[in-house]
Amino acid sequence: MISLRRLEVILAHEVRLATRDPVPVLVLILFPIITMAFLKPAFRPALVQSGHPHANGAEQVVPGQATLSAFFVVSLITVSFFAEYAWATWDRLRASAASSLEIVLGKAIPRVVMTIAQFAVIMTTGIVFFGLDIRGSALALVPLVVTFAVCLVLLGVAVTAVCHTAQQAQAFAVVGMVLFGAIGGALVPFSVLPHWARVIAPITPTYWAMHGFTAVILNGNGVGGVEAPIAALAAMAVVFGLIALRRLRFDDHKTGWA
Amino acid sequence: MSTSSAIRPGGADGLGHRATVLQVEGVHKAYGSTVALAGVDLTVAGGTILALLGPNGAGKTSLVSIIAGLRRPDRGRVRVGGIDVARAPQRARQLIGLAPQETGVYLPLTVRDNLRFFAGLAGLRRTELRERVGAVAAALGLEPLLGRRASQLSGGERRRLHTAIALVHRPALVLLDEPTTGADVRTRAEILELVRGLADQGSAVVYSTHYLHEIEELDASVAIIDRGRIVADGVLADLIARYGSSALELTFDRLVPDVARIDGCTVDGSRVRIPTPDPALTAAQLLPHLGPHADALRSVEIVRPSLESVFLTVTGRHFAPHAVEPVG
Ligand SMILES: Nc1ncnc2c1ncn2[C@@H]1O[C@H](COP(=O)(O)OP(=O)(O)OP(=O)(O)O)[C@@H](O)[C@H]1O
Ligand SMILES: [Mg+2]
Repeated sequence: MISLRRLEVILAHEVRLATRDPVPVLVLILFPIITMAFLKPAFRPALVQSGHPHANGAEQVVPGQATLSAFFVVSLITVSFFAEYAWATWDRLRASAASSLEIVLGKAIPRVVMTIAQFAVIMTTGIVFFGLDIRGSALALVPLVVTFAVCLVLLGVAVTAVCHTAQQAQAFAVVGMVLFGAIGGALVPFSVLPHWARVIAPITPTYWAMHGFTAVILNGNGVGGVEAPIAALAAMAVVFGLIALRRLRFDDHKTGWA
Repeated sequence: MSTSSAIRPGGADGLGHRATVLQVEGVHKAYGSTVALAGVDLTVAGGTILALLGPNGAGKTSLVSIIAGLRRPDRGRVRVGGIDVARAPQRARQLIGLAPQETGVYLPLTVRDNLRFFAGLAGLRRTELRERVGAVAAALGLEPLLGRRASQLSGGERRRLHTAIALVHRPALVLLDEPTTGADVRTRAEILELVRGLADQGSAVVYSTHYLHEIEELDASVAIIDRGRIVADGVLADLIARYGSSALELTFDRLVPDVARIDGCTVDGSRVRIPTPDPALTAAQLLPHLGPHADALRSVEIVRPSLESVFLTVTGRHFAPHAVEPVG
């Protein structure tokens, strides 16, 4: 059961907490852009070789870096829960009139929005400054990015649910970002990965996000190109949501730092 | 009366003076093999304050957490305003204001934003919210600090904010777990006055503390809790009349000499307590007999019937050392 008025209060509160420290978000936008600048030429040969003679490298590096940096939201979500333990506000929040669902939604929704905005800024920068040419329908990318953002945020809640210390959650989030980023084809073009990596890649959300980007940006697809990736990401989101639902015990004793 | 008269329990629909607000029945709680609560029964009416008094580890925090619905009892039942906390926690929580033992505030946010957030969660809006935030801030001396981040408050100021958060929505049931920990004399007085004011306006208050004189100041009923059981409860004066005893207490700088170990005394290392209806007379009789041991005598104290002596009678123990009244 959700009270919209209470949810509104929690949302405003979470946004206030997040904007108290805007540095992470700025870093998450700035760093991928810097990385794009020096990795773009390196990726061109791989794209040309895989059958895209007109590619300039931006087709890989822009969505790749955006996807990698989006993954950081997993860490931000876990921090927003663990900080409550560090501030000893968790019990107060639980003892308030807010329901568990309102608390989780209050933390999740602003981060979904933030992740989508992050994509928008990085992709726009890619188009304006790095010669990114979206051959297919740019609009088809919208549901893809939204589903991916929801999926990552729910992954963050699931990671919070299964971890007992903030350090555990960070380990998961950071290793997950690099490992999933590499295997999923965000760090380097999918075509250069070893065969075994390509076989297991579909278990990562990153793979499906990149799959969708490639379909639209390089292969010129419309909505048809992102249907499968969206379905896969949605399925993963459901799994993460179920893990969160099953394992997130509001009376767990966790240790956090802020 | 004081500034705290502005704080009036709201949303206490039908609850109020003398109506039972809190009912605890047969509550048991164990953590693994540690028994924290071994069958606790309590009733607190609107307009009254119940002070929970007990040594470290007695079960006070466990009890408060169960009342607030933060933990589930293994057995027993808690009802707040007639609502079963285990069955309808969310409805019950709307009636509760909790200040846990550990200070919990949003450090990056200002005092005002901390108060506004919790007031908002409790359903307050706009003018009403602004008024309540202003009133509780005034009552606890937080007004000049409203714009300051909680991370930049002193420990005592943070404690005041912590307590204010529990009271801002004027809950029907106020749960304060050692609210005056780390508070100076003025803060302590402000908190006590505010709590007294809330009770006068109809709230039921459960107040755990180690400070005996706070209970006297609050004119609270007392429940002495020891090893998970309520070993005595009632109105302060009744308890003192029933269990309080006067005594003579001698402290030596070494183990208590045999000559001072009179029948019926309790010895605690270098301290001996001799129950007697006339401590002065007993002192006059005993001291000349100390002989060479008189040199080792560090203090002679006449203990009047008080909550302290009640505590000793019902638990068989002195109050924990850190529970010694602060100088002030
Ligand atoms: N999470 C826990 N796990 C295991 N044992 C616990 C836990 N919390 C409390 N206890 C134990 O339960 C007993 C009661 O603890 P509780 O915190 O209720 O005491 P208290 O009266 O509040 O003490 P204090 O005055 O020190 O705050 C103690 O023996 C304590 O060690
Ligand atoms: Mg305690």
